[in-house]
This record gives sequence, structure tokens and C-alpha cells, in this order.
Amino acid sequence: MTWKEETDEIVRRRELALEQGGAESIAKHHGKGKLTIRERINKLLDPDSFEEVGPTAGAGNYDENGELISLDPANFVLGFGTVDGRRIIVGGEDFTMRGGSPSPAGLRKSVYAEELAVQYKLPLVRLHEGSGGSVGGTGGKGQNLPGPVNAPARFRSVAEAMATVPVATAALGAVAGLPAGRLVASHFSVMSKATAQILTAGPAVVERAMGEKKTKEELGGWKVHTKNGTVDNGAENEEACLAEIRRFLSFMPDNIEQLAPVIECDDPIERTDEALLDIVPKDRRQAFDMRRIIHTVMDENSFFEMGAGYGRSQITGLARLNGQVVGVWGNNCKFLAGSMTTDGAQKARRFMELCETFSLPIVSLVDEPGFMIGSQAEREATIRHGTAAVLTAAMTTVPWASVMIRRSFGVAQAAHYGPEGFVLAWPSAESGPLPVEGGVAVAFQREIAAAPDPEARRKELEEELAAKQSPFPRAEAFGVHDLIDPRQTRPELCRWIDRIQPLLPALLGKANFSIRP
Amino acid sequence: MTNVELETGGSVWKVLTKVGDKVAAGDVLFILEVMKMEVPYEAPVAGEIMAVHIAEGEVVEEEQVAMEISG
Repeated sequence: MTWKEETDEIVRRRELALEQGGAESIAKHHGKGKLTIRERINKLLDPDSFEEVGPTAGAGNYDENGELISLDPANFVLGFGTVDGRRIIVGGEDFTMRGGSPSPAGLRKSVYAEELAVQYKLPLVRLHEGSGGSVGGTGGKGQNLPGPVNAPARFRSVAEAMATVPVATAALGAVAGLPAGRLVASHFSVMSKATAQILTAGPAVVERAMGEKKTKEELGGWKVHTKNGTVDNGAENEEACLAEIRRFLSFMPDNIEQLAPVIECDDPIERTDEALLDIVPKDRRQAFDMRRIIHTVMDENSFFEMGAGYGRSQITGLARLNGQVVGVWGNNCKFLAGSMTTDGAQKARRFMELCETFSLPIVSLVDEPGFMIGSQAEREATIRHGTAAVLTAAMTTVPWASVMIRRSFGVAQAAHYGPEGFVLAWPSAESGPLPVEGGVAVAFQREIAAAPDPEARRKELEEELAAKQSPFPRAEAFGVHDLIDPRQTRPELCRWIDRIQPLLPALLGKANFSIRP
Repeated sequence: MTNVELETGGSVWKVLTKVGDKVAAGDVLFILEVMKMEVPYEAPVAGEIMAVHIAEGEVVEEEQVAMEISG
């Protein structure tokens, strides 16, 4: 007498579960140019590293003798696996069944994803394609009974995960309702331009409630959501999304109790780039390319930009200096002069919160003209969101290095400097309460109006004041740690990242404040 | 046909090309003034300028199509 019959039954159930929504449903899914959840997971993970959690969970269909005829597997696939040799938790809806709308076992597994990540202190990757609950319920017996009043707060684990482990999420097909909420509750999110839409509610619900007739793509395609910050990045297709997630994870520690992984760096720390000597034009009206500066200062090919499509006056991302991870933030003077807009401020705040949560030092390349102004900026509550960024910076505990590249003005500039930060200035640095161009017009309004040639007088005053905003007096007053040759920026920052290493272990653990979506 | 769309609002400072001009990818087509900064717009593709929808001094808005280039 052995348990052979039962072990055969286990094998059979596992095989049935792998059939997902059935051959026809899978073929239809492939026909739309999409991968199944199991294919997605396998492409994300190192080969053969997937260790599935709850592979036989689902709804069994039995004949009159109680024999299993078929098994509808839970439509959320979950498990452990490795990415570049490091263990993570990964999960996602199976769209080939119920269109990804949760089945009872699917819902249980999906909710477990965050709990598992927090318990095992491992990064969480969610690969979403699915919708929330259906009016008909999850379709199980007794499932229509409302939950008890003392049930644990449903979203607690989602928030806990964000405060504990790196969370990276991809939208790979249509994502609506609850999965859309979880998608954005991430440190990094990316959507597939070819296959994904993100919808608070889909076209049918929208038309019914709002009378607005729009396609899924019009409502929530990549053109909408990479520009408004719903997701950080858009990638061409599913594979590209998975590659971005792997890249993001390469910069992150496993959890808040660890430091980010350091890698061997073959890019010399003393490398200098002659182009930095004249990259900032002397004519203050002329823009320069901040991304070019970031790329040349950081370790070669290490810069990973997040959120390039929204809050475009600010550039944020992760990079390495001598193999050590840093958060990088710079102004983009080619977009609204690099000013602090509402969405730019939100992006900057979230970036600082990410760095604070995972104890990542921040490198800030400053060219801040101030808060965005004008009627649209007022309507968008720029001063409030901008000040939130300023106060976030003021409360950070991670080490900062700020390099004054060009402008550093107004209240907004304060967001670019951390407490006890290391401050360097390029010769092109200008700083003060506000840029001369605007400041002169206000402060010398009468004098300019009374002059025989008002325009000439205004220019004269602007030149006089601009001279006073030069970095040399600031350096004399020990207002910066040093005034440097722009070509020395990389060597300076590499020495800084080395100096601050002893400070990092004390930062580990729960941050004073963590990141929210 | 490729549209050159404006990334932000601002005022048109200089228009450097006209209908019929042949341009190479990367050539500066026009310069916007935004928040006291000059923002040059480069040709995304090589081709001929088929239409110009902006004029110097004009106040323009985000997402407005400024020029159309064949190719």
C-alpha cells in the first residue's frame, strides 16, 4: 500500500494547472501578440529558477463519483525566482481565464504577493494584465457574502511592501481597477506600448457614466500615461518592459535592511571629459543638455532614467559612481527652462522618497530657475507641490552631493540640496533669490521706466546684477565646499561616494517617511 | 510626413526654415523662447519642409504642430 495513486493525482493536477485557460484561449491570447503569464515569468527570471507558490490552487470540477474531471487553476500565478542570481517574488494575472478578473483562489494568491514579499524581505515584481472584481463576484460558493468588518485592511500589505522591499510592476495588457491600483503602488512601473492600457474604468463603464465614447487606447494608452506620470516608463513591447524591470532591480537592495549592490567598475574614476568645459553656453539664454552631463559624469552606460515622459523639466534616475548606486536628479533647461512645475515637483518628491526608503545617496545637478510661473502654473497649485518637494529634501537623511551647474534660484532651489550635503559649484553657477531677468523687471520697475532708453537700462541692470550672482564671491564666503573645473566633476563625485560609505549602514531600516504612489 | 510638435508653450523667437527648404536630420528648424531660454527645435528626419504653421513673435501652445516635413 503506497500513496502512488495520490501522488499521481498531484502530478495530474499540476499538469492540468499548466493548461491555463486552455489551448484555444492561449492561441487567442498569442494571436493578439501577447505572452501568457507563465511565458512572462519565464522571460523575466533566470532560466529554470521559478519556484511556484500554490500551483494546484483553483476550482476543481468533479463527476458524480467525486472524481476530478478538470481543474480551473487560480488565475494568478505566483512564486519565487531569481533575476541575475538574486531571489525575488513574482506574480501576475492569467488573462487566458476570466480575462484576468480574479477567481476566488486567484484573488487569494494575488493578495498574497505583497505579504510574501514583506515576509521574505524580497523584491516584488508584478506583471499585470487583468481587471478588478466583477459585479457577479468571483464566482465561488459563498463568495457573495460581504467581508467581515474586522477583516485586515486590504491595502495595508500593498503599502507595507512599498516601505520594505523594492516593488517593480509592468502593465503588459489592459489593466483596470484593482490591478491598476497595485500597478501604480510601485517604486518603478513600466507599460508596454504595443499591448498595454491602464484604466481606472474601461470604455463601457465610462460611456455609461460619463457619456464619453473612447477606445481603451484613447482612455489609457501609453501616450496618456507616460505623460501624466501614472507609469514611470513606456517600453516598446513586453520583452522591453521585462528588461527595464531587470535593469531597475540591478540597482536595488533586496530590502530596506540592506545596502544597494556594489559592482566592479572598469570606468576610471579619474576620467575627465573635455566637452564639459564648454557644455554650458556663456549666453544665459542658451540651453544645454543635462543628460549629456549625467551620462559623462556617471559610470559609463550606468544611467537608468525613470519618468522621462512626465515632469519633463526634471530628470530623475538611478546610476553608479565607481560601481556604487546613486539616485541622480538634474534639471532639464530645454523644457520650461528646467523650472519646478507641479508634475516635476511630484516626480522629484517621489524620487527623493525612493532614495530615502532604500538609503541611496543622491547626486543633484542643479540648474533651477525657480517654480514655474504663469496662470497655468497657478491653476496647478505649483507652489504647494513645489514646496512639498522642498520639504521632502529638507527631511531626507541620505547623503547628498549637489553640483551647481548653472542657475539656483528662489525657494525651489532648496529642493536640490540635502541637509549637510556636499556642495560644489561650476564657474557657470549663478544663484540668488530670483533670476536677474525677472528680478530686475520687478525691483527696478520705476528706474527702468524713467530711463531715457528703458530697454537699455534694463539690460545694463541685468548685467550688473548677473555679475553679483557669480560663484566666486560665494566660494570666498565658504558658501560652497569648492568651486571646480567642470571636467573634474566625475573624479570629485567618485571621491565623495567613497567618503560617505561609512555613513550608509546607519541609515538602514525603516525610513522616517517612505514612498507613496 | 512628419509633424514637428511643440513640447511646451512659449513664443516663437526665430524661424530658420521656410516651405520648400531641404533639411537634414538635426538641422535647427526654429527657436522658441520659453521662460527666457532659447529652445531650438531640430528636424527629427531629413526631408523637405512642406508646411510652416508658426511665425516669429507668435505665442504658441504645447502640442501645436509647428512644421511638417516630408519623410
